Amino acid sequence: MNFTEKARKHIDSCRFCWMCRHICPIGNATGQERNNARARALCLSLVMRGAEKPEAVAENVYECALCSACVKECATGWDPVYFILEARKELATEGKLPSYIEKMLDNYEKSGCVYSAAEENVSLTEAKKRHSIKTDTLFLLSHAAIYRDCADTVKSIELLEKTGIKFTVAENEPSSGADIRFLIGDTGETQEAARNCAKLLNEYKTVIFLNPDDAEIVVREYKEWGTEVNAKLVTFTSFIAANLDKLKVKNKGVAIAPQDPFALGRELNETEPLRKIAAAAGKVTEMLNNRKDTFIAGSAIMAEYMPEVMKAVALRRFGDAAAAGAEVMLTCSPSEHAVVKDVAFDGVKALSVAELLLE
Amino acid sequence: MEFNEFLFTNVLCELEDAVGRENCSVREADKITHSVDYFWLSRMWADRGKHMPEADVVVCPLNAEETSKVLKIANYYKIPVTTWGGGGGTQGGAIPVAGGIVVDTKRMDKIYEINTQSMYIECGAGAIYKHVEWAANEKGYATMHYPSSLNCSTVGGFLAHRGIGVVSTKYGKIDDMVLQMEIVLPNGDIITTSPAPKHAAGPDLNQIFIGSEGTLGIITKAQMRIYEQPEVRYFRGFLFRDMTSAFRAGKEILQKFKPSVMRLYDEAETGSLIKKIVGVEKKGAFMNVAVEGVKEITDVELKILLETFRKYGAEDLGAEYGEKWWKEKITFFYPGHMMDLPEMFGTMDTIAPYDKIEKIYREMKKAIETNFPMARFIAHFSHWYEWGCMIYDRFIVDDVPKDPKEAMRLHNAIWNCGVRTALKNGGVVNDHHGVGIKLGRLMKEQYGPAMQVFTGLKKQLDPNGIMNPFKLGL
Repeated sequence: MNFTEKARKHIDSCRFCWMCRHICPIGNATGQERNNARARALCLSLVMRGAEKPEAVAENVYECALCSACVKECATGWDPVYFILEARKELATEGKLPSYIEKMLDNYEKSGCVYSAAEENVSLTEAKKRHSIKTDTLFLLSHAAIYRDCADTVKSIELLEKTGIKFTVAENEPSSGADIRFLIGDTGETQEAARNCAKLLNEYKTVIFLNPDDAEIVVREYKEWGTEVNAKLVTFTSFIAANLDKLKVKNKGVAIAPQDPFALGRELNETEPLRKIAAAAGKVTEMLNNRKDTFIAGSAIMAEYMPEVMKAVALRRFGDAAAAGAEVMLTCSPSEHAVVKDVAFDGVKALSVAELLLE
Repeated sequence: MEFNEFLFTNVLCELEDAVGRENCSVREADKITHSVDYFWLSRMWADRGKHMPEADVVVCPLNAEETSKVLKIANYYKIPVTTWGGGGGTQGGAIPVAGGIVVDTKRMDKIYEINTQSMYIECGAGAIYKHVEWAANEKGYATMHYPSSLNCSTVGGFLAHRGIGVVSTKYGKIDDMVLQMEIVLPNGDIITTSPAPKHAAGPDLNQIFIGSEGTLGIITKAQMRIYEQPEVRYFRGFLFRDMTSAFRAGKEILQKFKPSVMRLYDEAETGSLIKKIVGVEKKGAFMNVAVEGVKEITDVELKILLETFRKYGAEDLGAEYGEKWWKEKITFFYPGHMMDLPEMFGTMDTIAPYDKIEKIYREMKKAIETNFPMARFIAHFSHWYEWGCMIYDRFIVDDVPKDPKEAMRLHNAIWNCGVRTALKNGGVVNDHHGVGIKLGRLMKEQYGPAMQVFTGLKKQLDPNGIMNPFKLGL
């Protein structure tokens, strides 16, 4: 693996340090020693030294959610996400990817979408048809929402309709690049996906992102890659929070724990709109690790190849909500909702923003 | 016994039956990550591109019952078993030097009960201590166990190595913080220690297993004390002209009350780490003290502290440095702040009564600097009692032999010299990091014929010698 000098430095700095172990959502859920930044760095450091084969550690490289909790935690500023993305890129370049990642890349090559059986739900197609006419505003759904959280995506479209805004949903939505970046890092393919998506976004004055992962990559990474987006960029959560008066929300007094997706809590520093929504419908009850310290509750793309681990991650977050005395865990990420909707937890139910407000 | 492929697979099937296939791994990534702990030699070995001794299989039981099944299998086939908590130990205690099975305890992380009536949390021994702290905090309490490894080490790891945190002077070591433990013996029997720790029902079972480093069994559950959050926590930094007056001042204050934090840095560490992290520019011996608790009482304690230290000529540096230190207390240990490879370094912490401690410090410093002129020696004194205190003394070598075997020779020679000097002058093998494989050879030198108590226990409880072989000098 031909790591850059920067990646080598970060790998060697992290390989014997466990200071971020306690905040790794995957490690916390599995209890596995290999699931922390230090373990990945140690394995990769041996690969760098020729003492281990890349394929022996490839699976471990994909057991990371790239949620950047470890990056935020590091007092020195070491960045495990940086070297893990680079490792994924190198594994792809060398053709040493785990078979399940290869399969997702095959899907992407064939259909432009990493998710298998990428056939759209009929009711979602109907909902999209209602917004096929070009307007000033694009509602970008994301592939995770379309193919793994479609029922809730329909509800999100319905909720947006209730605000009275006129908007467009693309018939064949391209990938923002977030999914492909997750799989193979910052490659030419990823940047090509970004450029392709940017063309669509630039046809509109405003873009509303349903998936915070898309918002994050467009706001942060597109700039790094020199891909300009001129539209005004808004998250679904912040748009709904700003239009709550039009939705006539009833406050039922239920205890609601806002589940900050890492893309909003840590990367885009947008945490209050979700709380405003929760406060409109009930009583905000904070989980111990919230806002920039949030833990993920799931990841649709990881659920493709490690569903049991994602279930354990979700259960752990439900436990946090229960410990805080919440009855509802409020999610605003289709990627997380796609996982938590299928996990049952006594006393706490997971609701999306649309589910909460349309209830 | 030679394990051929057929027999190995057969044993693997038995282990999978005990804990579930998904909790039983022969993956290379699992073997690698359980082969290197925080021990300098294991890190150096990996840094030189060499594999450390690895387990043949890594097993992650969920509870005492599953752990019991694993130990019964291991005993039958006489397979070595090494227990791994967080792997954050510095003594090589968790390294599977003899191969065999690594039992990783981190799936045993359940918080069973937060008992605010009796002020304890009952949890699995694999719980990361920071998570236990969070659980306590959520109810308005605290564990008051704050070592630098709080984020990464487990309840069982701290117990097995007799750990200590930065507020120990007031709240005690880990062995003062545990009420009851559940332990799986090497033969698979599951036992619990006394329902209360202070009793006259024979020797204290807790204290037999605390510090036993996985050589006598596996701790699977523990009741750990919790405390009320202090109303106030006041910091005060002081600068002493010399170490002697600092020791005297420290000893005197401990006769009056117990501060929570009390850390005295020698001139060398004041001028290096403290200068870098906390910003103290002056020459001398820096001491950081915190007093905490109920405000009315703490106000009086602060007054006594200032009056007492003034008698010994300490310069009062105010609250700022202490508060900065508290904020940065873990920053010291992140890569980039802490000593790191290619440097060689080690912490030879020891403890002794006040009438010996200063001499131990000076003799160790002299022995290291004289015999190993390439080594720097720095020290601080951070856990104080009415009768004595501990030294956290460290050596640092910049120019390390390139050959890993030669590096090991130098490393072990420095350790032998340092610890033997401590022992000769009334100290112990270690204060709060444990023994592991690093210091096992020196245990007999400290204990002499008393070592037969430990070997007797080992022979009785683990006649096949499967539990963490070559550790603790057993």
